[in-house]
Amino acid sequence: MKKNSIGGRSLIGLCFLFLYLPIFLLIIFSFNKGDSSAVWRGFSLKWYVELFHNRLVIEGLATTLLVSLLATAISTVAGTFAAIGIYNLTKKWRGPILVVNDLPMMNADIVTGVSLCLFFVAFFNGWHGIASWINAHQTLFTLPTRLHLGLSTLLIAHVCFDIPYVILNVAPRLRQMDSNLVEAAQDLGCTWMQAFVKVILPEIKPGIVSGALIAFTMSVDDFVISYFTAGSATQTLAMVIYGMTKKRVTPVVNAVSTLMFLAVLIVLIINNVRSAKMAKLAAKRASFEPVPESPRLRRFREWMATPRGKLARRVTAGVLCAAFVATTVFLTAFTTSRPVVNVCSWGEYIDEDLITEFEEQTGIRVNYQTAESNEALYSLLSNGGADYDVVVPSDYMISQLIEEDMLQPLDYSQIPNFSLISNRFKNLPYDPENKYTVPYTWGTVGIIYNSAMIEDEIDSWSCLYDDKYAGQVLLIGNSRDAFGIALKYLGYSMNTTDPDEIREAYDLVRDAYERGVFQGKVMDEVFQTMEGGNAAFATYYAGDYLSMLENNEDLRFVVPKEGSNWFVDAMCVLKDCPNYDNAMKWINFIASTDSNLRNMDYIWYASPNEEALELYPEWYEEQYGEPLDPEIYSIMAAPQEVLDRCEMYICLPKPTRALYNELWIKLGI
Amino acid sequence: MRNKRGLFAVPYVIWMALIVVVPIIIMLVYSLTVEVETSSGTVLEASFENYTGMTLYAGVFGRSFWLALIATAMCLLVGYPVAYLMSREGPGFQRVAMALIMLPMWMNFLLRTYSWMSILENNGLLNQLFQKIGVIYLYNKITGSDIEYFQLIRTPGAVVLGMVYNYLPFMILPIYTVLCKLDSRLIEAAQDLGANSANVFRRVILPLSVSGIVSGVTMVFVPSVSTFAISRLLGGGTQMMLGDLIENQFLGGAYNPHLGAAISMVMMVIVVVCMVVMNHFGDGEEEAMVL
Repeated sequence: MKKNSIGGRSLIGLCFLFLYLPIFLLIIFSFNKGDSSAVWRGFSLKWYVELFHNRLVIEGLATTLLVSLLATAISTVAGTFAAIGIYNLTKKWRGPILVVNDLPMMNADIVTGVSLCLFFVAFFNGWHGIASWINAHQTLFTLPTRLHLGLSTLLIAHVCFDIPYVILNVAPRLRQMDSNLVEAAQDLGCTWMQAFVKVILPEIKPGIVSGALIAFTMSVDDFVISYFTAGSATQTLAMVIYGMTKKRVTPVVNAVSTLMFLAVLIVLIINNVRSAKMAKLAAKRASFEPVPESPRLRRFREWMATPRGKLARRVTAGVLCAAFVATTVFLTAFTTSRPVVNVCSWGEYIDEDLITEFEEQTGIRVNYQTAESNEALYSLLSNGGADYDVVVPSDYMISQLIEEDMLQPLDYSQIPNFSLISNRFKNLPYDPENKYTVPYTWGTVGIIYNSAMIEDEIDSWSCLYDDKYAGQVLLIGNSRDAFGIALKYLGYSMNTTDPDEIREAYDLVRDAYERGVFQGKVMDEVFQTMEGGNAAFATYYAGDYLSMLENNEDLRFVVPKEGSNWFVDAMCVLKDCPNYDNAMKWINFIASTDSNLRNMDYIWYASPNEEALELYPEWYEEQYGEPLDPEIYSIMAAPQEVLDRCEMYICLPKPTRALYNELWIKLGI
Repeated sequence: MRNKRGLFAVPYVIWMALIVVVPIIIMLVYSLTVEVETSSGTVLEASFENYTGMTLYAGVFGRSFWLALIATAMCLLVGYPVAYLMSREGPGFQRVAMALIMLPMWMNFLLRTYSWMSILENNGLLNQLFQKIGVIYLYNKITGSDIEYFQLIRTPGAVVLGMVYNYLPFMILPIYTVLCKLDSRLIEAAQDLGANSANVFRRVILPLSVSGIVSGVTMVFVPSVSTFAISRLLGGGTQMMLGDLIENQFLGGAYNPHLGAAISMVMMVIVVVCMVVMNHFGDGEEEAMVL
C-alpha cells in the first residue's frame, strides 16, 4: 500500500494541532500562579500541591475512574455480544431494535438523566413495599427496605448510555465481515465459541476497541446523567467541576487533568515501544520457524478442555463474581457504618479544611457535594433523587422549599451558635419565624466594570442599555436577574407580578439587545471574560468581583443608585433526612465565628455572623500582615445604607415564572 | 444457525426494555401532563398544552438542526480525509493516533470549552495573533473599516467550531475502523481495470465505507442537536438551541419539566426520523452483513 505523502501527513498534523491547541492552553494554566484561566501571573506549582489537599477532586477522580472503567468493561462485552445477536436477527427485528438502541443517544442527556432518576426512585419505592412485606412474613433474614441512589445506579446509568456506542462501532465491522468465514471455521470442526474467538473476534477487534474508547470517553465526560443518578454520597469529577461553575473553576482541576493526560501519554508510549519491540521479535522469529508453544501452556490448555477443567473454569468465574459482589457489599457496608452527614452546597463555597476539622472533632464523615444552581438542586430534590441532610439554597429557593413542605424545622437548642448570627439576618421574609434556616453568607449584586476601558463615572444601571457601550456589555445569563435589574432600573420592584411591568422590562432589554449593546449572556464565564479585558461591563456578585480583582486591578464594582438585589444563602435541613442530629452538629460548627472568618477569607462572601463580620479586618491583618482595604471590606459587607436600597428576591408565583420563561426564550430567538 | 445466534440479542433487548423504554415512557407521561394549582395544592392533569405551545420554539428547532447539520458536514469533510490518511499509515502510528484522537476528550468538557473561549475572545490568543501579524491592519486597509478585533466568540461560527471540536473524534474513529478493514486488493483490482484515483475513491472506497460514515454522522449529529453548554459558552447565549431550552426547563430558572419533556420528545422523534432515513440509505449498500 502506498504511504502518505508529506501533504497527507501535514493534514493529520493539522488535525492534531486543532485537537490539542486548547489542551495545551489548559495545561499551561495549570501552572499559573493566580486562579484565573485568562490572566497569566507567573509560574507556580501551587495548584499541584493544593490538589493533594482537595478531597473533593481526589475522591471525584477515583469515582470517575472506577465507574468509567467498570462501565466500559461491562458495556464493551455486553455490547459486542448484543451486536452479534442483533446481526443474526432477521431484518424485520433488527431495524426496530437498532432504533431503540440509539434512543439513549438521541435523547437530550438531561432527559435521560431525569427519567432514569425517576425510574430508579419508582423502583426503590416498589422495593420498599416488597421488602417490608417479606421482612414481616418471615424471620430468616431481613432485607434492606430503604435503597438509595449511589454507585450502583450510577454504574447502571453509565452502562445504559455506553452500550449504544459500542454497538454502533461494532456493527459496521460485522457488516463488513464475510459470513462464510464462520461457517468455514465450523465446518473445519470449531465450536461456535472457538469460531468466535479465532475468527470473529480478530475481525471485529478494531470496532470493539474504538467502541470501548468512545464508551470510556462518554463516561469520563458525562455530567448531567451522573448528577441525577449518583445520589448524595457519590460524586464524579465532572460533577465536582460543574458544581464549581456557580463560582470559579479552580486551576486544581487543570492540574488533575494535566496529570491524567501525562499518565495516559506515558502508558501509550510504553505500550507502543513494547509492541514495536514485540512486532520486531515476531517478524524475526516468523522468518525462521513458528513459535513453539511452551509445554506447560499446552498441558494447561489440554487440561482446560477436560470436563474437570471446564468445571474449574466455571468455579473460578463463580468465585470471581462472588468476590466482586462481596467487595461491593463490604464497601457499601463500610461506608454506611460510620456516622455521616450529607451536605450539598455550591462549588468553591467553603474552606475545605473546615470539613476535615469537623470530621476530626466529631468523627462524623461529611459527604460534601456541590450543585450547579438553585434550580438544579431543586430539580434533583423534587425528583426524589437525593437524600441530603443539609442544603444551602438561596433565599427565594428556600421559601419555595418551605412552601412545598420539603424542609424540616431546625432544633435550635442544638445550634447554640445561632445566637451569634446578626439580628439583621434573622426572620427574613423567606423564613419569617426563622424556624428552618441558619444563614451562611450574604451579599449584593452590582455592576462590574473595567476602568481601563471606561472613562465615565458609573453609578446607574443605564450603562447596561446604552448605545455608547455597544458590544461591551455582558448580560447576566438568567432570566430572574436580567429582568430584575431592568425592573429596578425602571423603578419597579424586582418581585413584581404585574405582567405589564415585566413586559416593559423585557422591552428595555430586547431593545438594547437588538441595538447590539450586549456582547452576550454570561454566567460563570464572566470571570474569564472580565479578567481578560474582553468586555467593559458585567453584572455579578460582589464576592466574585473581589476574586476577579486579584487578577485584574482595573475592575471596579458599584451597587447602582437605583438599587439592586441582595441575597442570603442559608443552611437548612431536608424533611425526613437520615442524619438529623449530625446535621445539627454540622450547622452549629459552620455557624461558629472561627468557621465564618475562614470561609469569608476563602470565598470573599460576607458572613452573617456579627462577631466574624466585625473581627474580619483585624483577623485579615493578623493573617497577611497588611491592613484590609476598607473599600474592599465595604464591597464585601455592604453597609446598611446600600442594603436599604436593595431588594431580596422572593419566590414568584407560577404564572409570573412562566411569563419570565416565555420572555426569556423570546429574547433568545 | 441465524436465529440461534440471534439469542445473544435477547438479554440486551430485555435490558433495553427496562432501562431505555420504561424511562422514556415515564417522560412521555410527563410531557402529556401539566401541573395545575388547586385549592388543595398542585395536581397533575392530562393535557396536550405542552405540545400545542411548541410553535413558539420553531425558530430554536430550526437553528439547532441547521447548526448541527453544518457541524456534521464539517466533521465529515475534515474527519474522512484524516481517517483515510490514518488508515494508510504503519500499525504503530495507527495505534498511537487512535488513542491520541480520543485523549483530548478525556479532559473535562468544561475546561476544554473554557480554553476555546480564551482563544476566541476579543482579546484572546487568535485576535492577538491577528494583530501581531497584521491581519487586522490589512483588513482595515482593504475594507476601510476601523476594528481592533474580529468578533469570533459569541457567534454561530463559534458554536459550530465548538461542535466540530468536541465531536470530530466520533466521526474519525468509526470511519477509520471501516477503512482499516478495506481490502487493498479491491483498490488494486480497480486500478488494474483502468480506474483513475478519483474513480477508485468514488466507486470502491466510498461505497465500502458508508457504514462507518453512517455511524460517524449519527454520533456527531445527534449530540450536536441537543448540546447546551457549547451554545451557552461559545455562543454567548445569543444562539439559543434546543439543548438550552430543555436544560432551562429541567435545571434552569424556567423549571417546567413537563414542557422540557415535551420538547425533548419532539426533538427525539425528528432525530429518529432523520436516522431511520439515513440508516435506510446505509443499508442499501450492504449485502453480506449476516454472520
